[in-house]
Amino acid sequence: MPREIAPGLHWIYEAGPDRTESWDLADREPEWYEEGREAYVPQCAYLVDGGDETLLFDTLSPASTDEILAAIDELVGDRGLDYLVVSHPDVPHAGNALAILEEHPETTLVAPGYGNDHELYRLDYGVHVTEGDEIDLGNRTVEFHEATFLDAPVSVWMTERETGTLFPVDWMGFTHLDDERLVFVDELDGEFDSSRLVEFHGRVLFWYQYVDVEKTNAEIDALIEKFDPEIVAPAHGLVIREDATDYMELMKDVTRTIDEQGRVGTLG
Amino acid sequence: MTVQVTPSVEWINQCYEHEGDHEHVSLYLLRAPEGTVLVDSGSFYHREEITAAVDEATDGDGPDAIVLSHSDYPHAANVSPLGGDTEDVELVASSASPAQQGLPDARKCDIGGSLTIEGREFSFIDPPLADRSHTTWIYDHGDGVLFTADGFGNYHDPGRCDSLSDDFPESTPTERIYEYHRDNLVWLRYVAPEKVDRTLDDIFASYDVNAVAPIHGNPIVGDDLDTYRERLRDSIERIASEHSVA
Repeated sequence: MPREIAPGLHWIYEAGPDRTESWDLADREPEWYEEGREAYVPQCAYLVDGGDETLLFDTLSPASTDEILAAIDELVGDRGLDYLVVSHPDVPHAGNALAILEEHPETTLVAPGYGNDHELYRLDYGVHVTEGDEIDLGNRTVEFHEATFLDAPVSVWMTERETGTLFPVDWMGFTHLDDERLVFVDELDGEFDSSRLVEFHGRVLFWYQYVDVEKTNAEIDALIEKFDPEIVAPAHGLVIREDATDYMELMKDVTRTIDEQGRVGTLG
Repeated sequence: MTVQVTPSVEWINQCYEHEGDHEHVSLYLLRAPEGTVLVDSGSFYHREEITAAVDEATDGDGPDAIVLSHSDYPHAANVSPLGGDTEDVELVASSASPAQQGLPDARKCDIGGSLTIEGREFSFIDPPLADRSHTTWIYDHGDGVLFTADGFGNYHDPGRCDSLSDDFPESTPTERIYEYHRDNLVWLRYVAPEKVDRTLDDIFASYDVNAVAPIHGNPIVGDDLDTYRERLRDSIERIASEHSVA
């Protein structure tokens, strides 16, 4: 079931597999983990309903085809889906694009304008967007941006102007426990433990172990200044709807920590 | 038609053209003691050419196993056409969750581990150069071939599609190595080059590498391995130095 972040902005969630055993969490006992609990790295998609038109950002993984189709039906009903934005052609993000487009032939595919291998991903026929391009959905407008911290070169980030939401895709993902599904970060018990961010970036964004700390953290400062978001909606974490830039600041500690300790492990 | 890289490893090369440049989107066929093994399955873009090439190379039998470096579409798009969704062909996927990667029936390999596939030992290595978190480099203990998925690539001119590194007048050109990594491994703009180099040193010290078989470049053989690594190091330093924070 999706959850509404703000009027017209919906969070669609997929838990993915339980990582507890493969990450040896019970043995390692990282600060964010509680004994006996299950731990997840979610996949998230977001639906923006602008009154006049609707837009879906990412698709969940192929393990959740039925779920994403059901969520679209629930949120847009007979109005249809006007735009499907693929942030990047990674399977957990774009794996249901074909199924969605078959179910919703009225939908316009929106793809990153960056990179040079679009035909290899069947993204050559979509509308290609780059920095500053916008889509007016009625009472909401989304804007696209060159992705800063990314994996696939064919990538794009997005913001939604009315709510001040930044969608940084793979960046700023983090782990959560079983009963924290679809929970906003400000609803979590206690203080947010930044080692959740380390656990994710130290495994999933493997290249963090190789970066220049000073340069990377200067880029984070530049991102805070550029976007100054009210809400951060990551593809692999819970939605941050309060003090969003404070969490972006935490990412500088993540860079420093991974530099000191190296890769936490693999995704597993 | 395949290109022989080492005694039992053949290159099934396919190219993707953009603005006059070519980029390989290849796969490799290994003749293992108990059967044939494909490393990666190529892009749907080349499906007809790939299935025909594999069919010809295996006398119509198809592969006995497919090992995927990662689930990115240019690498994993032909699993079904090559029989990877049948009981006759063993499918081995990289780390992470095969179901979420669209490969629910795959046997899972762990980074850092080894598997024997069709009588051949393969090790799965944490890659310092990749574009996806789920990637593994694959080392073939039979011929000493290191399959590097998205690392160690290069663009090439249209006339160089079938060339091994030692077919170039002075091995793989530095500029083409630089251009490929600049465009495809975007995170290198933030890299501390010496960190990558240290990890590459460790890998080459741990494994007896006779040839590097990239998916997106010309295979690198013999003495060219040292030359390529020097040029790769220079390329990474250049990519990092060219990006400044706005």
